[in-house]
Amino acid sequence: MRTRGGVLVANIIAGLALGYIVCNIGFGDYAELNRMFTFQDLRMLLAFAGAVAIIVVVFAVLGVRRTPGRIHAGVVPGAVLFGTGWAISGGCPAIPIIQVASGYLPALITIAGVGVGMLLCGWANARYFHLDRGSCGL
Amino acid sequence: MNNYWPWWAGAIGLALVTINYTLTTDRSLGVSSAWDRVLHWRSERRLEVLDAQFADDRALVDAFAAATAEQFGTGPGAPTLLDAEHGDAQAAGQDVGPTAVESAPVASLRPAPLVTQAALLLSILLGGWVAAVTAGRFQIRFDMGNGYRELVTANPTTMIGVLFVGGVLVGFGTRLAGGCSSGHGLSGCGRLRPVSILATAVFFGTAVLVSFLLWKVI
Repeated sequence: MRTRGGVLVANIIAGLALGYIVCNIGFGDYAELNRMFTFQDLRMLLAFAGAVAIIVVVFAVLGVRRTPGRIHAGVVPGAVLFGTGWAISGGCPAIPIIQVASGYLPALITIAGVGVGMLLCGWANARYFHLDRGSCGL
Repeated sequence: MNNYWPWWAGAIGLALVTINYTLTTDRSLGVSSAWDRVLHWRSERRLEVLDAQFADDRALVDAFAAATAEQFGTGPGAPTLLDAEHGDAQAAGQDVGPTAVESAPVASLRPAPLVTQAALLLSILLGGWVAAVTAGRFQIRFDMGNGYRELVTANPTTMIGVLFVGGVLVGFGTRLAGGCSSGHGLSGCGRLRPVSILATAVFFGTAVLVSFLLWKVI
């Protein structure tokens, strides 16, 4: 599955499954999201934490290579901005797609904002920050 | 209306997606990087063309090396110059871990092709739509639901502004931090990467703080 076609099939399968699962967990529902972040309902928090726990155990058992990653100057300020944006818009980069898929048309505005924010970050980094930010998911 | 999955089903589902993707592609699943690469499709396409040219050059050098080995009896396993150069580049730039498979095909360590990233985003849309329709939750609406109206704003104009600003913060923040809830949160924390654990703690902690402000104060 490491050829171009294999990676394409893997991405389609992962995208379909991710969209289906995240939508059924309720991450696209702003009320559910706020209840998770305010600890009124631990269901979605446990789903996320449980997934991480399972992944840690399976990766350890299978000996999946660890990618050390470097903590750079952009991690904390970037995560603060991301956390704020997630709380007020209800969308991390995948969730506005699922909100649109569920019929919430204003989430298209969130998607436009995500695009503008990413382009702004690229411009600002090239002009001012000059950070080697690295990237996951490549 | 709230016929969502129990937590354990969600946990198993998210874990299976992440594990399956990692094992089949030897890459980490990350939605924000997919967005970023699709947004910068022009430069990504240029890089892919250059990469293809490099692959052609590499094949040519390998052919010359094989012919030289046949002519002069040099060992066929001797690394070419491009092998060495490419290997160095991977080690420095691709974050290869201590147990990385050294004999893995070169293609597996290159960034995933651009088209696969676009396919990931479109597939999320399709998967989410199927879930919403089959669960009876699909409904075209011009607001973000009762929860958003009660907790953030009921004014449509303000809603548009807040959603846009929120989106900009998400886009800027995820690129500055180098990942999002899937890349840092699931894949990165699953691999116990310190940078991902730090990023996840900070973005989750900030979201908790802001959500409490929206709930109790604003």
